[in-house]
Amino acid sequence: MAATQAGAIVLKDVQAGTLVLEEVSKLFPQRSGQGDVRAVDRVSLTIEPGEFVTLLGPSGCGKTTTLRLISGFEMPTSGRILLDEKDISHRPPNKRDMAMVFQSYALFPHMTVFNNVAYGLRVQRTARGDVRQRVQRVLDLMGLSGLGERRPHELSGGQQQRVALARSLVVEPRVLLFDEPLSNLDAKLRVQMRSEIRNLQRRLNITSVYVTHDQVEAMAMSDRIVVMNNGQIEQMGPPEEIYRHPASRFVADFIGRANFLDTTIEATGDSQATVTLLGQTATLSVSAPLRPGDRAVAVLRPEVLKLEANPALEQVTIEQTMYLGSTVEYIVRLGEQRLIVVDADPHLGRVFSEGTTAGLAFKPETVHLLAESAA
Amino acid sequence: METATPKRRIAPIQTLTRNRRIAEFWRIFQDPVLFTGLVLVVLFVAIAIIDPIYAMVKESLTEKGQELFRHYLSSPVYQRIIRNTLEMGLLVAAVGTFVGFVMAYVQVKVAVPFKRLIHILALVPIISPPFAVATAALLLFGRNGIISYGILGERYDIYGLDGLTLVLTLSYFPVAYLNLRGMMQALDPALDEAATNLGASRWRIFRTVTVPMLIPGIAGSFLLLFVEAIADLGNPLVLGGNYEVLATRIYVSIVGLYDTTAAAVLSVILLVPSLLVFVVQRYWISRTSVVSITGKPSGTPQMIRHPLVVWPLFAAVMTVLLLIVLVYGVIFAGAFTKILNVNNTLTLDHFDFVINGYGSEAMKDTTQLSAIATPIAGVLGMLIAFLVARKKFTGRHALDFATMLGIAVPGTILGIGYLLVFNGPHEITLPIVGTFTLIPKLTGGRAVFGGAIAIVLVYIVRSVPAALRAGVAALSQIDPAIEEASISLGADNFGTFRRITLPLIRPAFFSGLIYAFARSMTTISAIIFLTTPGTKIMTHQILNEVENGRYGNAFAYCVILIAIVLVAIGILAVAVGTSTGAEKTTIEGAA
Repeated sequence: MAATQAGAIVLKDVQAGTLVLEEVSKLFPQRSGQGDVRAVDRVSLTIEPGEFVTLLGPSGCGKTTTLRLISGFEMPTSGRILLDEKDISHRPPNKRDMAMVFQSYALFPHMTVFNNVAYGLRVQRTARGDVRQRVQRVLDLMGLSGLGERRPHELSGGQQQRVALARSLVVEPRVLLFDEPLSNLDAKLRVQMRSEIRNLQRRLNITSVYVTHDQVEAMAMSDRIVVMNNGQIEQMGPPEEIYRHPASRFVADFIGRANFLDTTIEATGDSQATVTLLGQTATLSVSAPLRPGDRAVAVLRPEVLKLEANPALEQVTIEQTMYLGSTVEYIVRLGEQRLIVVDADPHLGRVFSEGTTAGLAFKPETVHLLAESAA
Repeated sequence: METATPKRRIAPIQTLTRNRRIAEFWRIFQDPVLFTGLVLVVLFVAIAIIDPIYAMVKESLTEKGQELFRHYLSSPVYQRIIRNTLEMGLLVAAVGTFVGFVMAYVQVKVAVPFKRLIHILALVPIISPPFAVATAALLLFGRNGIISYGILGERYDIYGLDGLTLVLTLSYFPVAYLNLRGMMQALDPALDEAATNLGASRWRIFRTVTVPMLIPGIAGSFLLLFVEAIADLGNPLVLGGNYEVLATRIYVSIVGLYDTTAAAVLSVILLVPSLLVFVVQRYWISRTSVVSITGKPSGTPQMIRHPLVVWPLFAAVMTVLLLIVLVYGVIFAGAFTKILNVNNTLTLDHFDFVINGYGSEAMKDTTQLSAIATPIAGVLGMLIAFLVARKKFTGRHALDFATMLGIAVPGTILGIGYLLVFNGPHEITLPIVGTFTLIPKLTGGRAVFGGAIAIVLVYIVRSVPAALRAGVAALSQIDPAIEEASISLGADNFGTFRRITLPLIRPAFFSGLIYAFARSMTTISAIIFLTTPGTKIMTHQILNEVENGRYGNAFAYCVILIAIVLVAIGILAVAVGTSTGAEKTTIEGAA
């Protein structure tokens, strides 16, 4: 990355904005003409200045529509969108002081790289000398020096991505919007670009809203993740909280992988609950209000389960063993249920072969308990 | 907005739908340029297209009109005219589509020499002044025809259905050719490869893959040719003989009998099949299209090289091209000889007549009016395309449909509509202020500018649909995110249109302009009732010369007309440019 500490100086005038969504809904008419589809359903969200927030969810969950509502390409059916306490719900997209990085990059194919980046400044009628200087600085920042006279199709995918980012950064927006910007890159470049974008965003301190369906990307980049499903927010919080304490079965299943075990609450007390799991009695900390006798679902991540040659433990049958180098993945059978077990340290223990049986162990503090209603 | 409480309930669906409509218009209204554009477009469509058609239909439904309807539909004479019209339309559509298909197939799928030449020659009839092909055919294949009598010794009677089918097919097959060629090129060669891979023979692939995939294109071309044929006026006037069709009958009603009601009634009868075809084409064929255009087809199509396939097809194509060369050769030769085939002395008299003599006025007027109409039609076409393809508002489909009516209705119908609507001034009387003239008298004697405004309007109306379609097609190739990126960077709608959209659809704009100019220069049926002694139009002059048997003058007009169109294309290519600048070019030094 050619970015230097000069980055902060390049965009010294950036004013990170506060973005607030209040009960925002968007209805689209159905193709059949009968009734409407609620693409975004009463979404409320506050994004602090300089914060990097990711909207995450499966396709059709409303994340892209939410981004388009923020950018102004769609108008909310109800609710308000505020930028720095001003209602911008119905302000046209060109007057919102935001810039968007598109999935397809949307570079202007008939213009050179320089003119692409200069576009926003020229629209603002920036003085000619200023334009040249600022474009040059952003091109340097993005490691695009010397490519100014190229046309977009003469650049590699990663370079095109950088031009798209440079074009948005140069106008010093209050909010930067990303619509799945890395989905067109190959796996290696994607990993590289996501850390570049994150570094840049942190250094420039720009409020950013990022849409993706890739949970790893979301985990790697965000200050806060907003998990969406069916137009509604399922859960929002920092990556670790979302992973460790998913609010619903959907979130647990969508972020990372999870095994679900049905169980019944035996005793409760002081935000703790006692359950029997895999033949062990465990006392787990819980956030949901649960009473003895309630049915619940325990979320066990594959890496918290461990296979041991211990006949005292609940016995499982190894159905499949996949040796992946740094990890070994097992699919094991427990009664009628199949579970995934990931051994992150195969070199320390032994590798269990298919068809054998083993005991299944877990650490109680890594188990997350969901009330059945959330499951 | 400020008073809205955060906890407000979601409004019922119906209110939301209405609110959305209002919101859509409000968004357009907020942008003054876009709003002005929309208002202008709607006014144009309402005044120049809808109103004349409506007036004509209304005229046909008056008491006298209804009487005439009953008379026409029961009289054997008129029944025959209607039958003739449909018969001719179907025949031309079938033959023209077949010829177009063969030409396109040979061009795309068969290994034959001279492909570039074949392509150019096949397109020549697109710039054909009316009457030129018919008159040339008459001289080639008529009773004293250079070929029919001169070579074959046959006193052939070309007048009637056979002659009309020949000239109309020659005039309109390029439409089918272009249409089908485009679709064939878009066919993914992988389909052929997959079929071959599964063991299918060439013939089997043709029957089971190529033709079924092209059915929408074939049907579309058939319908288009049908409409063109039944609407054509110039050719039946020259070659119809006793074979009367609706278009010529309408012409006679106005020019010979001064009976606008009769013309209106006949026009409505002609309008029915035209509109029917238009609607079918629009809502059925465009929906069943199975050709997926995914940008560049992958792989190179395998050419057919079997000599038993190649050479017969090549011979067929050459025959058609020979006919075109003969027809245009006669036009050219006829323009430079005293009386072709009678007195073949070379002369420039005909050109003198057109350039310096009586015809000079028509030449200037026509070029001038076409030059005025062309940019307006081009810009309007792109503007409507932009509105229809990129903006959401209730009624955009109606706007598209109404604009397309400009070409879907036969030209004669538009002409009569104009006569009815613009024969007097449109005035509005306001209290106190007095009476204003909204639209002055545009047609007939003492019309403003000798009727030039009405003619320019008709030129525009007839040209906008092609520009609209070209624009919509070009826009659908452009990722909307590119325009959104511009707006996201702070540009307004107009700025985005000017800096991003327009440059990217430049090739479509260019072809829209060319089409508009060529169409304006060669149109006859729509303006034949609108010319006045004050405004002379070349196509009308050509008709006069043909009717008086002065073929030399007519041909000289045609040659000059073709020359003007070619020069204009050259000028437009330089002025507008044919590329977007986004094309992939190898830049020196670039890897």
